[in-house]
Amino acid sequence: MAAASDALKISAAPAGRSLWQDAFSRLLYNRSAVASGVVLGGIILASIVVPWISPYNYFTPEWALLNAAPTLHGGHIFGTDDLGRDLLVRVMWGCRVSLLIGMVASVVSVFIGVLWGATAGFVGGRVDSFMMRIVDILYSVPFIPFVIVLVVMFGRNLFLIFVAIGAVSWLDIARIVRGQTLSLRNKEFIEAARASGVRGPAIVTRHLVPNLMGIVIIYATLTVPSVILFEAFLSFLGLGVQAPMTSLGVLVSDGASELQSYPYLLFIPALFLASIVYCLNYLGDGLRDVLDPKER
Amino acid sequence: MLRYSISRLLGAIPTILIIITLSFLLLHAAPGGPFDSQKKIPPEIKQNIERKYHLDEPLYKQYFRYLGGILAGDFGPSYQYRDTTVNEIIRTGFPIDIVIGGVALFGALLIGLPIGIMAALRRDTLWDHSSMGFSMIGISIPVFVIAPILILVFAVNIHWLPAGGWQKGSLKYVILPASALAAPYIAYVARLMRGSMVEVLNSQFILMARAKGVPRRLVILRHALKPALMPLVSFLGPAIAGVITGSIVIETIFGLPGIGRAFVDGALNRDYTLVLGVTILYGVLIVVCNLLADLSYSVLDPRVRY
Amino acid sequence: MGLGIFLIIPFCLVACNTNQKQAPVAAHDIQVGSDLATEQILNRHLEADPRSLDPSLVTDVVGQRVADDLFEGLVTLNEEGHTVPGVAASWETSADGKTWTFQLRDNARWSNGQPITADDFVYAWRRQVDPATGSEYAQALTPIENAMDAAAGKMPPSKLGVESAGPRTLVVHLHAPTPYLLALLANAYLDPIFEPAVKQWGDRWTQPGHMVSNGAYLLSERVINGHITLEKNPYYWDASKVRLSKVVYFTVGDNDATTDQYLAGSLEFTERFNVSEKDRLQRILGNQVVISPIFATALFAYNLTKPPFAGNPKLRLALNVALDREILEKYVDRGVGVAAYNIMPPLDGYDPAVPDWAHLPDDARHALARRLYQEAGYTDSHPLEVVLTYASGGPGTRRFMEALSAMWQMNLGAKVQIYNEEWKVFLQARQLKQPTFFWAAWSGDYPDPFTFMQLYQTGFGMNDGDYSNPQYDALVDQASSIKDAAARSVLFHKAEAILNEDAPVLPVYYYVSTHLVKPYVKGWQSNISDRHLSRYMYVLGHQES
Repeated sequence: MAAASDALKISAAPAGRSLWQDAFSRLLYNRSAVASGVVLGGIILASIVVPWISPYNYFTPEWALLNAAPTLHGGHIFGTDDLGRDLLVRVMWGCRVSLLIGMVASVVSVFIGVLWGATAGFVGGRVDSFMMRIVDILYSVPFIPFVIVLVVMFGRNLFLIFVAIGAVSWLDIARIVRGQTLSLRNKEFIEAARASGVRGPAIVTRHLVPNLMGIVIIYATLTVPSVILFEAFLSFLGLGVQAPMTSLGVLVSDGASELQSYPYLLFIPALFLASIVYCLNYLGDGLRDVLDPKER
Repeated sequence: MLRYSISRLLGAIPTILIIITLSFLLLHAAPGGPFDSQKKIPPEIKQNIERKYHLDEPLYKQYFRYLGGILAGDFGPSYQYRDTTVNEIIRTGFPIDIVIGGVALFGALLIGLPIGIMAALRRDTLWDHSSMGFSMIGISIPVFVIAPILILVFAVNIHWLPAGGWQKGSLKYVILPASALAAPYIAYVARLMRGSMVEVLNSQFILMARAKGVPRRLVILRHALKPALMPLVSFLGPAIAGVITGSIVIETIFGLPGIGRAFVDGALNRDYTLVLGVTILYGVLIVVCNLLADLSYSVLDPRVRY
Repeated sequence: MGLGIFLIIPFCLVACNTNQKQAPVAAHDIQVGSDLATEQILNRHLEADPRSLDPSLVTDVVGQRVADDLFEGLVTLNEEGHTVPGVAASWETSADGKTWTFQLRDNARWSNGQPITADDFVYAWRRQVDPATGSEYAQALTPIENAMDAAAGKMPPSKLGVESAGPRTLVVHLHAPTPYLLALLANAYLDPIFEPAVKQWGDRWTQPGHMVSNGAYLLSERVINGHITLEKNPYYWDASKVRLSKVVYFTVGDNDATTDQYLAGSLEFTERFNVSEKDRLQRILGNQVVISPIFATALFAYNLTKPPFAGNPKLRLALNVALDREILEKYVDRGVGVAAYNIMPPLDGYDPAVPDWAHLPDDARHALARRLYQEAGYTDSHPLEVVLTYASGGPGTRRFMEALSAMWQMNLGAKVQIYNEEWKVFLQARQLKQPTFFWAAWSGDYPDPFTFMQLYQTGFGMNDGDYSNPQYDALVDQASSIKDAAARSVLFHKAEAILNEDAPVLPVYYYVSTHLVKPYVKGWQSNISDRHLSRYMYVLGHQES
């Protein structure tokens, strides 16, 4: 009985709003998640507002003020970089770019990975074999020539970054989801759904996916920092944001080589990167908790 | 299970063949060749070099020539390093990556697993938050920041460990690179373990076992741990293959002659044979590791059947 | 949340350390004695792994560095970088300058004890131009008769203009008098090769144990991308003067890793450091930081086959004049680079043609630039929009490019968008003459103006911008065939002046070498070829505190 009523509740999930509103209000009880949400929201807000109101821009050098240390007395709060540009503004622009890329790429790879992995795991047999062999192949094909060919064929394009990143990051999620599906598909509530006549694809989307989301969210939040840094690597290959525009990944990699001379050039962008990562992860944990159908 | 394994391994052959073909095409599609350099070579001379390496032949001929070589175990000459062969580069570089990757992953599991499990058991306590916070340093501070800091502290300021390089069999060259490499994996292992444990601990049959009065520790170890390991195992398959084929960042920062760096340099220098050789190695490892991971699903969760 | 603490600790370790800006860090104090150290071993640095140690196949700077220790040609370089007798004890030229006769030393030997004969040179040089060898630098032998024809397969290698006239006599036939021949002869591609080793081992003859070399050292160990170990060659004719018994070259590609290893003591003579580190390193290492000019120029080239630069010399000149090179040198490069207003880097015996506007005060210069820009047809409301293509380098390169772009924006209102491409893609694009405005740095192959001047002759392979000026061509041709050094110099000067006016390229700075050298390493000097042979070096006794 409990299983059947669970199944009924779950099948209401994608359509009705009540579950989400309910989930949101429960999220508010999770202090880490709330704190993280506030911090992340603050960073997002700052990244939008600060470049607007700041007297400095992100690209004009100031030769007299190279590598000025951070100072609270007006002027450059975060100091300046190697070309005398205000670090605060550059970090804010960097946050914009990296948050955008990080979030969109993660969403895209989650979407593809979940559908792929759940289908493979649920259908099983030859289809599963075939789908996972494709995953194996995509893991192995060398990435750098792939990106180079992409750039050569399509020119440089912000959209291409998502293609390049998305093409790789969905693979791990697909494997994890498939694994979970393999064990979930034998569970009672799935049998119940089948018994009540729910068809294959509906079982996948309405019953399996919500039960997978917990792990998926956690893994997705883990990959955001590597996506952000990966974008910095891509810009080396000619893809990605073009100088003088910058991203957190680029700021952190550049700062890493100035670690001993001008540590604040690394410390400040890295602090923002770390904060974003921590916030996303705590939010992810919180989301996992509230979306878990079993926690009721 | 044996039949399943055999059919998977047999299926690996066409998989590897497709990997080789796709990679071959992709590599040759990228503009530029191994002998393009800033000091341009006159065309006649370029032809000489290309003839020597059969790069002037039509693509399909080069492809079959390469396949023929593979079957004989010869991965070809390196176009970047003209004095040596791909076999030799892999033979000397691969063991280094195996050692460092193996130690790193082992350490990551040793540290990450207990942290993740305990955090799940003591959810929402100070222990949970602080141990998770600690383990996440590995992904929030990039490896190329952690590694130089380690070098700065342990090699430059106190001369305890070397700042890089490699001496076969000498442990001190392994410690810093393996530590830096392990950092992000500690985060992955701990968080995946915690998340998965939490899910399993909430699940129906655990609640039932607890309701029946089975003591907590027993419940956990006997019932919860195995299914909870599944996402981690899914992740570990490709992770193992990836970590033992070398990390370009670690090898660059520590000056290690491994195959990770050779692979990236190879792609950037259009060293077709070297890139293909490492790709094949990686492909084989992926197939094997994913197979092992998949087989372990049925060990961890008896309901999983193939 | 315990996260904060864990973030702060590692940064504190670093930040607190570097806050002591007053006293140098004690860990780097080294007391140097005056006697030779008991162990004469030197740990040197390679910024990339050599593509090959086979003299016929050496194309890169790192390969030449190791080849300088393993092999020796007819001539070699001394500490100051000047050519001195090597295997050849003496030589003479014919009256017309086209035939050189070299007398080899009697006591020159291979590392297996065999004497070096003229045939060893003949074999090596023929091998260099033999198409079957696939040598990338065959065209370096162009001055030698029939070299290019042999390389193109039109003649057999045996027709190359070199022969032995006796076991110790080598005769070389040139197309034209080549004043810089001696400098060419010091390069790896003209070193001798021991034929039986190649016959026996084929492509594997360069492995340790197989290789037979004639330099001060022999190859004892090689790990690709790891290290190359050289040991003293007992049969080297000057072995009694060679003090280092062992030289180990470590391949470390990353600049920060290199500096760390130097500070940790495992590297003693390094080749590169990050520009942004220069101030800090000078503070803690003093004159262990060695910066000195080398024979290379950072240049950009304009594509003269399409708009906006085709047929618009005023525009090109405007961009040239508008750059604040002193600012670039002082602030962006921090002195790791010398402002360049003309293409020729400083060279003994050559008087460079420096454009007049280089001496103008900044205001006047900016005004001139703006005037030229307007006369070229551009204004603030109709600015120049062009893409400047370069190939991915490190953050230092990117910063430099950003500075350039900003300068043109600030001084002219021109919108120069910088664009980085992956290296090989960039090379390919250049060959296809696609980029409009692109990076085109050049380093000289030998210390003579011709190596730069020939770049801009009509039809020269590397003339990617397609510059063509018959007057210029004539001057360079004339200069390259004269023997008298002073007269040559004058002609090249005139040619360079034409380049300054036509502005087919944009010189920005002259390169410098950037070494970190331990104070106890002696026997070397800065020179413009930046070649430091280990055979002169030695290590003094020292104590690290």
